[in-house]
Amino acid sequence: MKIKRRTSQADVPSMAMGDIAFNLLIFFVILARAQDDSHLQWQPASAEEINASGTAKVAVLIDNENKYYVNGQQVGASQIAGEVDALLGEAPAGERIVLFKVHREAQALYFEPAIEAISEVGGDIVHVLEQKQD
Amino acid sequence: MVEPPSSATGDIAFNLIVFFLVCASVQPDSGRQQTLPRSEQETEEQSENIEVQLARNTVMLNGNILRQQDFDAALKRALNGKARSEDRVVIVKSKADTPYHHWVVVTEMIENAGGIVTIQTEEEQQVVVPGG
Repeated sequence: MKIKRRTSQADVPSMAMGDIAFNLLIFFVILARAQDDSHLQWQPASAEEINASGTAKVAVLIDNENKYYVNGQQVGASQIAGEVDALLGEAPAGERIVLFKVHREAQALYFEPAIEAISEVGGDIVHVLEQKQD
Repeated sequence: MVEPPSSATGDIAFNLIVFFLVCASVQPDSGRQQTLPRSEQETEEQSENIEVQLARNTVMLNGNILRQQDFDAALKRALNGKARSEDRVVIVKSKADTPYHHWVVVTEMIENAGGIVTIQTEEEQQVVVPGG
């Protein structure tokens, strides 16, 4: 007697594709946010004339607690120059833009050493500001 | 009425998320570029340079306390007739408690007046007396 082998379907249900894609997306978003500084607490200072900053590889941020961050990673004041230098690498002049985001109430004691560090490694500082409201 | 198939809701949500992510990531930062002269340039003819001292709420130009609205005109007078870039260097000395928003306003005025901002930090201002 011949017994017919039953073939079973083992496909991933197409209904789950959307959920899989959604979970993958959440994973990559969280991964990207770890290198991003949008979660940090700071308020920009205002200026009368501001321009679009262009693309930058490096962002140095001083938050409302006077903590330093380079591309979203907390660093010490003495590490800023080294971190910025490593990220800028051998980039030619004009492509060495460093976004400088400082909380409006941060004191010179904190922001001046950061300006010096960026300038020391040849970074072109762009102060990230908001348009002054009259 | 024809309803969209329920199996498509995942794809719709996915496309909506991608749309909002792209919108959020393309919002550019805006600000003001600042070029600080290298330290070698600062040493040249320092006695000729204009000096601005900043404190928490005040601004001083060559030792004279000014109101912020008067500072602009006084600085333009001080820079008047200085054609060489090394003569247009303005040394900005800030007290430790100077807030960033005050510093930004004053340095913007200096740059708009044609000055070249150079910062001098507290450490550099200290005079070391050799022991003997």
